[in-house]
Amino acid sequence: MINFLIRRFLQLIPTLFVISVILYSLLALKPGDPIDDMRRGNPGFTQADYERLRELYGLDDPWYIRYLKWLGRAVQGDFGPSRQYGMPATQYVFQYRLPYTVVLSGLSLFFAFIIAVPLGIFSALRQHSFWDYLITFINFIGVSIPIFWLAILLIYVFSIQIRNFLPAGFVDRGIPWPDWNTLAQETSDTLEILSIYFSKAMTYLAYYSRQLILPVVALASLQLAQWTRFMRSSMLEVVSMDYIRTAKAKGLTHKTVIFRHALRNAILPIITLIALSIPVLFSGAVLTETVFNWPGMGTAILGSLLNNDFNVAMVALMFISMLVLLFNLLADIVYALIDPRIRYD
Amino acid sequence: MTTTTRPLRVKSARKQTNSAWAMAWRRFSRHKVALMGGFVVLLFAAMSIAAPWISPYDFREINGPMKFSSPSVEKAAFFPAGQCHSEKVFLWECGVYPLGTDQLGRDILTRVLYGGRVSLLVGIVGALISTILGSVLGALAAYVGGKFDMVISRLIDIMLSMPQIPLLLILSALLNNREVPLGQMLDDWLGSANKSIFIIILVFIMFYWMATARLVRGEVLSLKEREFTDAARVLGGGHFRVILRHLLPNAAAVIIVQFSLMMGEAILVESGLSFLGLGIQQPAVSWGNMLSGAQGFLFRTNGIFIAVFPGLFIFLAVLCFNLLGDGLRDALDPRSIRR
Repeated sequence: MINFLIRRFLQLIPTLFVISVILYSLLALKPGDPIDDMRRGNPGFTQADYERLRELYGLDDPWYIRYLKWLGRAVQGDFGPSRQYGMPATQYVFQYRLPYTVVLSGLSLFFAFIIAVPLGIFSALRQHSFWDYLITFINFIGVSIPIFWLAILLIYVFSIQIRNFLPAGFVDRGIPWPDWNTLAQETSDTLEILSIYFSKAMTYLAYYSRQLILPVVALASLQLAQWTRFMRSSMLEVVSMDYIRTAKAKGLTHKTVIFRHALRNAILPIITLIALSIPVLFSGAVLTETVFNWPGMGTAILGSLLNNDFNVAMVALMFISMLVLLFNLLADIVYALIDPRIRYD
Repeated sequence: MTTTTRPLRVKSARKQTNSAWAMAWRRFSRHKVALMGGFVVLLFAAMSIAAPWISPYDFREINGPMKFSSPSVEKAAFFPAGQCHSEKVFLWECGVYPLGTDQLGRDILTRVLYGGRVSLLVGIVGALISTILGSVLGALAAYVGGKFDMVISRLIDIMLSMPQIPLLLILSALLNNREVPLGQMLDDWLGSANKSIFIIILVFIMFYWMATARLVRGEVLSLKEREFTDAARVLGGGHFRVILRHLLPNAAAVIIVQFSLMMGEAILVESGLSFLGLGIQQPAVSWGNMLSGAQGFLFRTNGIFIAVFPGLFIFLAVLCFNLLGDGLRDALDPRSIRR
């Protein structure tokens, strides 16, 4: 197992290298480097300036020379500055964009998971019932609906017709989560502290949930549908196994059979499925993030592509590629751990 | 004691053949939802093809005074005499727009019909080629085995571990750019409207053949160990004959289902990319590209119709393809019990 892990980790490096070459060459093919933009914005810009600056920044080198230079700096952790935002690209991506994506995708993963698993089990245990058909049909809708269309409809209904949620963006007014100790210094009445604490906490939740609910719902819908479907078929498969019949024949109660025997086996495949869909959420939320103007990784990638912010694009794309690889590996490891039949040596 | 022998009732062979395909069709036709899905998809396709005969308008026809009109609201007063499509054509009357008009006063229903041509074309062609590519590569990998199989399997793994959506974005941005030599070449060859359709299909094929290849590879790996494959070889069948006549038809269930699901997927990819402005470019129209500016008009009176209807058609088409695929899986794959 340890050998397998080490080997797989070492295999990540060449794969990541190949991916970085592909990404870099594709991005380098894109016309419009920073000097082009300077020239466009400055009428006094001469051809001589253009060539001098291109040479100064090393932009007249062919892409593989530039790639090697980039790689040399990148392995030392220097991914260059962001052209648009005047800060290191890594700082921009990891400090200003990643947290928003983590919040958004984390919440939607969480809700999708806690809803999908019971729903899938329920649907499987009541196979061919009305509820089963209804859930299956709703799943079909969830899988087929274009997320950005759902997002637009949500905005229309919940922030234009019913003016409850913010239609777009994220505004952080720095409302803090209440701190019990500072409240306790002002008054000694425990009941009063409790009520102030509660009301401040509710303000916090209300403030942020107004901005979060719609994007989370839109993003979670697809995952929810897929996972419910997967959980249902996984549960159905497990329930038809021989050891379930054995468990029933032993005289165990229905509840024990379902929760102790069936569920434990049925839930394992969905965990690997989740591991595989986390990196997809990080980049695949482009559409949801665009509709809600959410300052996350997806819009960072799209924006950097459209505005020729090369370094930011490279950082974000490499980060996502690494996540994909890591979570693929994680899924394999989980498989190996839970299924003793799989041997990797 | 007399024994009466009941004559054995034999159903006439003509009435009910028991070939695998006939049985599959019978199972499929019991699946009402899937049948309906197939019907709706065919209806959409027929309507899109017949668009110029159904609608009195051109999909580019701008009508300034009529912008942002609600569905079926009569505003005939706007039309000076003689400037109106006077005779009633199906749903359209003078000054009536069955699904309203967009920000430029273009008839949404007409655009939906024409947009369906592009969206369904991308769906069908993209899914067809990606399924064929995946099937052929998967079948070859499994049949040839050895080094070739290893290369293909590795390729599938690498393709699957790349961040697909960002790559889709980069590639379509790249190819849609006229300053890129390849983009320029495509532009000269196909014209700017057709170019964007071609690019979408191309990038879809590049990133969506792997699932099919994996499925078919697994299927063929087990099929080629069966006796009938040996029999076909012993009887003198060449490798290609064995693959084309014996292995692929037996994997047909998987392939057909995959094709049907891929059509929905392709339509979703097209609409997503077009929504971001990286897909089908104006003045060409597709369901996705009709939605691309729609969000900005949500606050306008009747602005919601610009967003609702194209999205509804995307949703219905994808839903129907998925239902169809599900029905086909139940009908064609005897191992998948109806669950």
